[in-house]
Amino acid sequence: MGLTRTLSIRALTLITVLILVVFFIVIILGATGTSDKILQAMVNEEVMMLRQSLAKTIKDPQELEKVIEIRKQGLMEFYGLTKPWYVRLPDMAWRVLTLDLGKARTLKTFAGGNKVSDIVMERLTNTIILVTSATVISAIVGLVLGVRIATRVGGILDRISSYLSAISYAIPTWWIGIILILVFAFLLRLFPFGGLYSTPPPSDFYMKLLDILWHAALPVATLVIASVGVWIYTTRTIVLNTAQEDFVNAARAKGLPEELVRRRYIMRVAAPPILTNVILGLATSISGAILTETVFNWPGLGRLFYDAVLVMDEVVVIALTYIFTLVYVVARFLLEVLYVILDPRVRY
Amino acid sequence: MSERFKEALQEFWRLNVSKIGVAFLTILVILSIYVIATYPLDFGVRYWNNPVYWADYPKSAPPSWINYFSHEKIPEHHVFSSDKPSNTSVTESGKRLMYLFKLDFQADRTPTFLSLSIKNVTYYGKPAMIRLNVTRPDGKNIELYRYTVPAPYGDESPPYRRFYDQPKRISLTGDMSVASTLARFLLREYNVTVKPSEVNSIGQHTVIFSVPKNNTQFNVLKGGYVFYIIVDTYDPRDTIGEVKLVVGGDVYGFMGTDSLGRDLSVGLLFGFPIALFIGVVTSTITTLLGAGLGIVGGYVGGKLDEVIQRTADFVNNIPLLPLLIFLAFILGQNIWIIVFLLIVFGWPTLTIIVRSMVLQLKSGQFIEAAIAIGAPRWWIMFRHIFPQVAPFVFAQLIFFTPTFILLEAALSFLGLGDPTMPTWGQILEYGFRSGGIYVGLWWWIIPPGLLIIWTAITFVLIALGMEPVVNPRLRRMK
Amino acid sequence: MVLLELNHLRLYYKTVRGIVRAVDDVDLNVEPGEAVGVVGESGCGKTSMANAIIKMLPSNVALYDGRIILDGLNIVELPEDEVRRKVRWRQISIVFQGAMNVLNPVIKVGHQVAEPLIIHAEMDRDEAYKIAMEKMKLVGLHEEVFNRYPHELSGGMKQRVVIAMALVMNPKIVILDEPTSALDVSIQAQIMNLLKKLKRELNISMIFITHDIALASDISDKIAVMYAGQVVEIGSAEQVLLSPKHPYTQKLLKATPKLTGEEKPEFIPGTPPDLVNPPSGCRFHPRCPYVMDICREKEPGRFEPEKSQRVMCWLYGGENE
Repeated sequence: MGLTRTLSIRALTLITVLILVVFFIVIILGATGTSDKILQAMVNEEVMMLRQSLAKTIKDPQELEKVIEIRKQGLMEFYGLTKPWYVRLPDMAWRVLTLDLGKARTLKTFAGGNKVSDIVMERLTNTIILVTSATVISAIVGLVLGVRIATRVGGILDRISSYLSAISYAIPTWWIGIILILVFAFLLRLFPFGGLYSTPPPSDFYMKLLDILWHAALPVATLVIASVGVWIYTTRTIVLNTAQEDFVNAARAKGLPEELVRRRYIMRVAAPPILTNVILGLATSISGAILTETVFNWPGLGRLFYDAVLVMDEVVVIALTYIFTLVYVVARFLLEVLYVILDPRVRY
Repeated sequence: MSERFKEALQEFWRLNVSKIGVAFLTILVILSIYVIATYPLDFGVRYWNNPVYWADYPKSAPPSWINYFSHEKIPEHHVFSSDKPSNTSVTESGKRLMYLFKLDFQADRTPTFLSLSIKNVTYYGKPAMIRLNVTRPDGKNIELYRYTVPAPYGDESPPYRRFYDQPKRISLTGDMSVASTLARFLLREYNVTVKPSEVNSIGQHTVIFSVPKNNTQFNVLKGGYVFYIIVDTYDPRDTIGEVKLVVGGDVYGFMGTDSLGRDLSVGLLFGFPIALFIGVVTSTITTLLGAGLGIVGGYVGGKLDEVIQRTADFVNNIPLLPLLIFLAFILGQNIWIIVFLLIVFGWPTLTIIVRSMVLQLKSGQFIEAAIAIGAPRWWIMFRHIFPQVAPFVFAQLIFFTPTFILLEAALSFLGLGDPTMPTWGQILEYGFRSGGIYVGLWWWIIPPGLLIIWTAITFVLIALGMEPVVNPRLRRMK
Repeated sequence: MVLLELNHLRLYYKTVRGIVRAVDDVDLNVEPGEAVGVVGESGCGKTSMANAIIKMLPSNVALYDGRIILDGLNIVELPEDEVRRKVRWRQISIVFQGAMNVLNPVIKVGHQVAEPLIIHAEMDRDEAYKIAMEKMKLVGLHEEVFNRYPHELSGGMKQRVVIAMALVMNPKIVILDEPTSALDVSIQAQIMNLLKKLKRELNISMIFITHDIALASDISDKIAVMYAGQVVEIGSAEQVLLSPKHPYTQKLLKATPKLTGEEKPEFIPGTPPDLVNPPSGCRFHPRCPYVMDICREKEPGRFEPEKSQRVMCWLYGGENE
């Protein structure tokens, strides 16, 4: 059926993108010598552990060094450090794909461990919470207001929203966050400066939830303010254009009730192009998430990225670049599934 | 051809948004030209990132104009410097150079410190002597400090050069000899007994600028102060460079200072040409490249088109910021690398649109005619197709400029900017990183953002003004 | 027994330039099983009249009055809700230029054909689908078209779908507004044949709106010629085609190319009338070859030079008739 074929092709395309990006990352790493550094660090780590365990059994220092040297050589070969970087490409690519990148240099998980994959995975949920709530709120506000304005074109609300929308194109998201902190946290002391929960976090489950919500308020507000202008404006324009189509008029001539016309002939038909805009805005949402988390010290992937860059922890930077691409590809695919379901015209 | 251009210009000028946009742009350009003309190119490295240069400035000081809004007048920070004496006279032993600095002090609080610096002293025989005097508004005169330039070392030979690498900075605040002088002054003039150690804890700067009520309380003395720096030299060849007097305050300048004491108005000004440069250059190259590839791909078709399309599609499918961060991180924080990366990620959008435009144009009759008379492909693309898409491309150029400015600001904010050049994003980054928001240093946090927004809006307005020109359907809709 | 009676029907719109008198005092009757062709240039008010009949009024309507009598009800005065429930599609349906954009692009066409049954007749889905399928077969569509989307169909097929859709509730009258303008000539012929077949077999009345008088002549029993919002001539197809009375009708016929004979088509001089400020008196007078003084001053009365043929032209009567 057209549906499955289309979806398979899209899935294939996106997976190709992911793999190409991973290869790209790995090539850059190899060419700049960074992958050597990382693998070397992993080797040294193992050697150190080896030294500790062997020191217990082998008492003669010279003997110890000899054995360690042999093992080290073995490790270097195992990790491919004895070969030039381009030979290691597929291996390195696989490492990135599975997040098998060893330990972070300085960053740690919340519990104190420092395995890269752990650090990254535990923050994934936080980012998802932030981004999904912001998107849902923007979507609801955007759709409702957009439709409302579409029925009153030219009114005051319409003009205000178009100015706001144009301006929001020019305002950096992260700066909005900063201003919100200045006003609501510093000046008015209504909201916290950042973080996920207060220290110490409340023990009661509901209080904890409230605490998180209280902390999430400003970051989510930042993301919503930045994107809602565009949502409203595009919804309004698309709904307006759809409402003027011939088939809407024909539906009324068929004697269909206005409610049905609105739902099935206007909104349902406007949904795919609106969704397109969501897809296009996906990359922006990711950027917005990174910057907003940084400003609000929200412990998600974005903030981790900032911290990793600050302390020059290469492994984490690499892991995050990959994860972000993965998240983007997955989100994109899900949205495209939705799109294909909604719009039969794009099926092959 | 120019007829159409004139018409387009008229159409553009009709709208208010265009006029405002162009007005803003003019201001931006004028400021940028001013900056390029007056600032050295290595401003970033030589001055901005050099803490020594800002040593005499107050840290985290709000701008001085907030005094208009506060009932308590906060002392302003003043930096007086001169490399030419106001007055030169001849004494029996040599020359006397006098530097005069006048200050009308109207704050409700005394200054925060007082310091004197001298730079670039050369002498041939006897070392120069420097004295600092002040005449207060109440007519009283105090000789605050006397200093002799260090004598020659054992193995030195004339000319003796002092304070060329580092200026000599004398802080009167915290200096016990000044404290003793002031203690004597207080006793003599006001019959008030204050021990030199107490003078030191009250603050030499406080005592100089106030009148004692009793031996613990001092009231600010407002009025005109004249500071004299008298330099006596003993050889006609002796020279002295810059003489600086700093009267410390809590507010400074037009835009205040950051936590390192850097004058923000200076740093922010420098951001104008950079922002324009980044925005316009990156946008121009990106749009031209993107349009070029779109035209070539669309017109030539075949394998070339396939390749261009697939590449554009691939780049479009990558999340922008994470990859940008990764590459900037690995390849280095350099303005040219950033521009390069922005171009690499920016061209596909335009290519795809232009390509579809070209596909439509390709089947036009005028193209058929051109082919029929044997015009070569590049000629057709350049002379026939490009002029058709040019208005749209130009509009996109304007429209994309703010995107690049914002992207650079975002990268700088994350700490990946070029450290040799203070862009607005970088100023914000430092403000954020040093916790400026949490202590409410609004003058540091708000202006850079506003400037970014203002610059971006300028281009958005112009792009809006260009819309009806480029999209004739929207003309005359009002 | 007249099925639909239009009496002094007027529909005016408000625009920036003034009030457009799109339908200006129109009288028209439709008998059961009769096809009435409404012919005229673009902008003469034909589509506005169609909209007026089913009370599809735009938001800038300035005036809508007169009588539209169907089954004892005056549609003009019927509240919107009742028009929607009782008249539209049940009694009168309309076929737009289906090859264009008249079908919802994201819903299967079969469902769209069945939709009125589900909504109006409150049938359950399966029953409605069965009837819809029948109608689609009736217009010559293969049953697998039912599950297709509009973009998967050709122009001709889409037009058939639209016709099937119009017939689904067995209305008494079907209005067809330029049903073939957007189609190839060969498909046009197919659709016309289909319409003629349906008229014969189902005995429905039709109002066939077109700018092409030759096309109208193919199917119409009666032809009404519209000009500047008014019906300037109306009569049986034979009367209007073979002995046209109104100078405009004559010119229209002369403008049609003929297969036989030496005559070349003539064009009608002058420009179409401005519906905001129509010419004084008889609206055709600036372009009429037989214009008289009275034509410039007074709007002509409706005269009946032959039985059942009415003309609005001073050539056929004086002021006092």
